[in-house]
Amino acid sequence: MTDQVKETIYRVAEDVFEKLAFLFSFREEEREPMDYGAAAVAGVTFTGQFEGRLALAVSEEVLPELAANMLGIEEETTREEQQDALKELINVVCGNLLPELAGRKKMFNVNAPLILSPEEIGVVTAAPPAAAAKLALEDGQCDLMLYLDEGVSLDPESSEAP
Amino acid sequence: MAINILIVDDSTVMRAMILKSLRMTGLEIGETFQAGNGQEGLEALDDNWIDVVIVDINMPVMNGEEMIDHMRENPATADIPIVVISTEGSEARLERLKEKGAAFIHKPFTPETIRDTMQTMLHIEGDD
Repeated sequence: MTDQVKETIYRVAEDVFEKLAFLFSFREEEREPMDYGAAAVAGVTFTGQFEGRLALAVSEEVLPELAANMLGIEEETTREEQQDALKELINVVCGNLLPELAGRKKMFNVNAPLILSPEEIGVVTAAPPAAAAKLALEDGQCDLMLYLDEGVSLDPESSEAP
Repeated sequence: MAINILIVDDSTVMRAMILKSLRMTGLEIGETFQAGNGQEGLEALDDNWIDVVIVDINMPVMNGEEMIDHMRENPATADIPIVVISTEGSEARLERLKEKGAAFIHKPFTPETIRDTMQTMLHIEGDD
């Protein structure tokens, strides 16, 4: 089941990155996770059929291109615009991912995305994710981690499955 | 006739993306207004002549569905065309929005989708 979830994360992320931010990504299944302390990390929590959090880490070098592409401008972008772009990116990835995992008859509430502080990154990434995807981008890397609240399983054999 | 448009989304980047896409559609865009949540959106409607409202669903303070409900209850805004642009994927929620008379565009979107939806909603003939 984890492989299916991982495949879904890859598929949704690749599609959203390309359509929303004009960023082409390539799977990097074998590499180690990024150094999240040196990356920009956004997180979003969700409730509904199942509850949890999605975290998106990208290399700092990716942020200027990400924001410029989304805003459609060639000028230098501000830090605030770059962080807003990252938050919108994870928001759209999460909004598209959950119905793919649970089906379109299930309802979710996706909360406002946040840029995580180093302390929050430590707390969020302390536990292993339920599934993760590692991508290469032109100017850096990107990791997506799906965390589910305790007791939640995406396994259809489980009584708590969506 | 130029169309005055109100864009309601809590993301400044998304509002800029929608505005950029609107300008690429070839539609005659008049004044554009922006709001960060449903409450601010209703205030903008009170203060300005708006022909179309483009609204997100998940927003703080007042979400898009609540804003649509307020608009439909007010005779001054009840008939303004509404386009929801959201990541929403739940069939039940989409059906509810349809019943409220809103068109729906899924994020991520293309400028062509916005153009086609606006043309249909405003009964504007396309070039092709």
